Amino acid sequence: MRKLTIILTGICLIASVALSPAMAAEVVVGAVTPLTGKLAVYGQGFQQAMLLALDEVNASGGINGNPMKILFEDNTSTSKGSVSAIQKLITINKFPVIFGPAASSNFLAVCPIAQQNKTILIGAESAAAAISKCGSYVFRVFPSDLLQGKGVAELVQYLGYKKLLLTYVNNDWGVGLAEVFKKQFLEDGGQLLDEFSYDEGKTDYRSEILRIKKASPKAVVNLTYIKEGATMLKQAYETRLDVQWIMGSAAKSPKLIELSGEASEGVIGTYPTFSQDTPQYKAYKAAWEKKYPGKKTPIFGEYNYDMVKLTAKALRKTTSMSVDDIRNALINASKGFIGATGDKTFDANGDVGATYGRWTVKGGSIGDYK
Amino acid sequence: MIYYLQLTLNGIIAGSIYALFAVGLTMVYGVFRFINFAHGELIAWGAYLALLFTQTLFTLPIYHAVIPALALTVVIGLAQERYVYRPLRHGNRITLLIASIGLSYLLRNAIRIIWGSDLMTYGLRPMRGFSFAGLSITPTQVAMMVAAVFFLACLYFILTRTMLGKSLRAVADNMELAAIMGINMKQVSFTVWVLASVFAGVGGILLALDTNLEPIMGLTNLIKAFAAVLLGGAGNVWGALLGGLCIGISENLGVAFVSPGYKDFISFAIIILVLLFRPKGLFGVLRGIR
Amino acid sequence: MDYLLHILIIAFIYSIFAISLNLELGYTGLYNFGHVAFFGIGAYTSALLSLAGMPVAVSMVCGMAAAGAIGAILAIPALRLSGDYFGIATLVFAEMARLFFLNERWLTKGPMGLPGIPRPAWIGGGVAALPMFLIFCTILTFAAFLIIRRLTTAPFGRALKVVREDEYVAQALGKNVLTLRIKTIAIGSVLAGLAGGLWAHYITYISPGDFTLTETILVLLCVVLGGRGTNWGPILGAFVITFFGESVRFLPIPVDFGRVVAPLQGMVYGAVLILIMLKRPEGLLPEY
Repeated sequence: MRKLTIILTGICLIASVALSPAMAAEVVVGAVTPLTGKLAVYGQGFQQAMLLALDEVNASGGINGNPMKILFEDNTSTSKGSVSAIQKLITINKFPVIFGPAASSNFLAVCPIAQQNKTILIGAESAAAAISKCGSYVFRVFPSDLLQGKGVAELVQYLGYKKLLLTYVNNDWGVGLAEVFKKQFLEDGGQLLDEFSYDEGKTDYRSEILRIKKASPKAVVNLTYIKEGATMLKQAYETRLDVQWIMGSAAKSPKLIELSGEASEGVIGTYPTFSQDTPQYKAYKAAWEKKYPGKKTPIFGEYNYDMVKLTAKALRKTTSMSVDDIRNALINASKGFIGATGDKTFDANGDVGATYGRWTVKGGSIGDYK
Repeated sequence: MIYYLQLTLNGIIAGSIYALFAVGLTMVYGVFRFINFAHGELIAWGAYLALLFTQTLFTLPIYHAVIPALALTVVIGLAQERYVYRPLRHGNRITLLIASIGLSYLLRNAIRIIWGSDLMTYGLRPMRGFSFAGLSITPTQVAMMVAAVFFLACLYFILTRTMLGKSLRAVADNMELAAIMGINMKQVSFTVWVLASVFAGVGGILLALDTNLEPIMGLTNLIKAFAAVLLGGAGNVWGALLGGLCIGISENLGVAFVSPGYKDFISFAIIILVLLFRPKGLFGVLRGIR
Repeated sequence: MDYLLHILIIAFIYSIFAISLNLELGYTGLYNFGHVAFFGIGAYTSALLSLAGMPVAVSMVCGMAAAGAIGAILAIPALRLSGDYFGIATLVFAEMARLFFLNERWLTKGPMGLPGIPRPAWIGGGVAALPMFLIFCTILTFAAFLIIRRLTTAPFGRALKVVREDEYVAQALGKNVLTLRIKTIAIGSVLAGLAGGLWAHYITYISPGDFTLTETILVLLCVVLGGRGTNWGPILGAFVITFFGESVRFLPIPVDFGRVVAPLQGMVYGAVLILIMLKRPEGLLPEY
């Protein structure tokens, strides 16, 4: 009898060891990332930041003992690619959670698919206000432009411009932000001398510059990206259009100065700030330096980092791997979650709050505007 | 009023560049009787090769980089002829056209691989423009117009005062007869491609000085070159010049009336209208280079 | 498995698109380099109507009708142009259509595109719908193929080939060249509109960036590679190109080279076009 018991126990032990690698299932999350195409230079940074957070998650026990993994799908920086990538992640891999693509247009293209297929979609860089209406399964750790629009209007009021010209990039982000700004600006009693949108990616904005010149504004609110902003600044400088440029967060980058030289001097803008003095941010920075020595922290890297950390927390706490349970766990996990970018509590729409700081270009570099 | 004058001035500046593009395209058509879809890539490669010599590989100042850039552009143009067009010349028309579309796609993507799809710049500091009578123009733009005039003047000299130029015109007029008369076809072919490549390359560099580089610049300017060629009459070099100026001016003035997003639409519309109502162009004769 | 279904659906949609171009280019010798415009018109019309509440089947038919009607109307003036010039004009037209989609934000939401396009009600959305959608596509492709085969084996088809080879001979034989060409363009545009509608309802998102010169080159490649002027040619071409395009996704490319994948693929397509023209212009399935 005893021999039998010993043999059976032995078999059970061997079996559990042999079978356990199969049972230590990885917890995999999908990610639609711009690894190629025009956003590739940012996409690489996002990926690195996500991997940094992943390392920390797995170093502290993974998801209840199981390692967490991220499967990256390239979206070629286009909406079409994003749709293709998310369909693959949903139909083949069947992940319950997917980290969404960067640009607002790309995000908006895929959120109906995620919502319809009951898959959780989280964004770390998309600002368009329209995203708040995407649905119950869509969240983001990046603040909505609803807040930034108001921030820009406040800045304009602070600077004392009652009349100005509004121009913006013709896409989801630009159109959305412009709408919010305009509403607030007009409510504050401002007057728009002219308003128009322009296509992104053009090399020649002289027609647009001329139209601005025609209206003779003292200030221009230009909601734009780095390349387009730099080209416009340069061409405005060359054609002697001298106005106060007010921009948003998307243009805030040393590359703006690199591309436009002294034409960018004096630009003032807003951007979502988070204190860099918090222990969480310092920890992020230190960990980054350790894993990628000598590299600067990428734009929005902190948001991606927080997104992974928050998701891991939710996955640890969830009662099961069903989507609705994960969703509840996510909402609960966010309450009071202080990440590198601040408080990430989700509101009813899956959005987070933010404060907006001001930046300016002075002496050839970007600094805070006081 | 100043607004429209400035637009017209911008148009003349743009038009002088389009003229350079159109002249190359129309010469190839005049002699070989086909539209080189890959002409746009000669423009783009000219600009990007200059970038190669000023940033990517070496750091020559832009004026020195122009010579090697143009030389290499000519190599590309001659290679196009030797490996793709010459074998297909006597075959099916559609085959040639499809091959040139394929070639253009190939060259454009080669640029994307080497330099990426992003906007690039020669890195020159922005310069304040001159202001006179309320209009403004930058030193670069002045240089562009001067260069365009210089090259076109050289072309005039070549076509009318040299044997080579006259042979070229003869071939364009009647290829078989010219061959019978003893004109060296190989030499003429070589000359046309060299001229076309040089003009495309110069235009590309000038354009990039003004508005930076991107991989699609070849295609967008090819269509404008088409418009200019058609307007001036295919094969008519001086027509192409005038056509270029017309396209430049109408594009820039047109923006005053339609949304800037439709700026390219204007040159497209001109193409369609010319093709439908006056395919010979405003000054055209269908045969010969005048 | 689901991924295979996905690729097959794309391949069938492109088959219909290629069949329609083949009718114009392969059989009738019309250099229509702007065919993608009708693909786009079909897609946008169907998408907009179904987003406004119409049943998908109806909106797809409307999309086809719109594409066909615009094609026929434009054909009349455009056919005054000969060969090369027709090619340029159609290419330019495709770009004009794209600019229209891009700028008329009130209608097409411009660069933002139209997300959330519904699937046909009887197929439904989600993963489970894939096999049904594939069956749907297969039936439609088969139908398109049969229609074209019927047309091309009939005297109509032979007349088209005569027009392609020598339009003066065709005229001398009593064929009304202009009418034949207009009919061809109309039919080709209707089928392109069908392919466009299928695309819109499958991908559920369209934007002006889906209808560029790249798509023209892709469909041209399908027709030319597969075999111009044959019935099976375009289908074969569409399958080869689609599978090649998607297979690239599985190559293990180090992150640093990631950005090179798409343009490298583009170079391959360009090179293949040139090589086919140089070495085997009839394509894989020769006409004779």
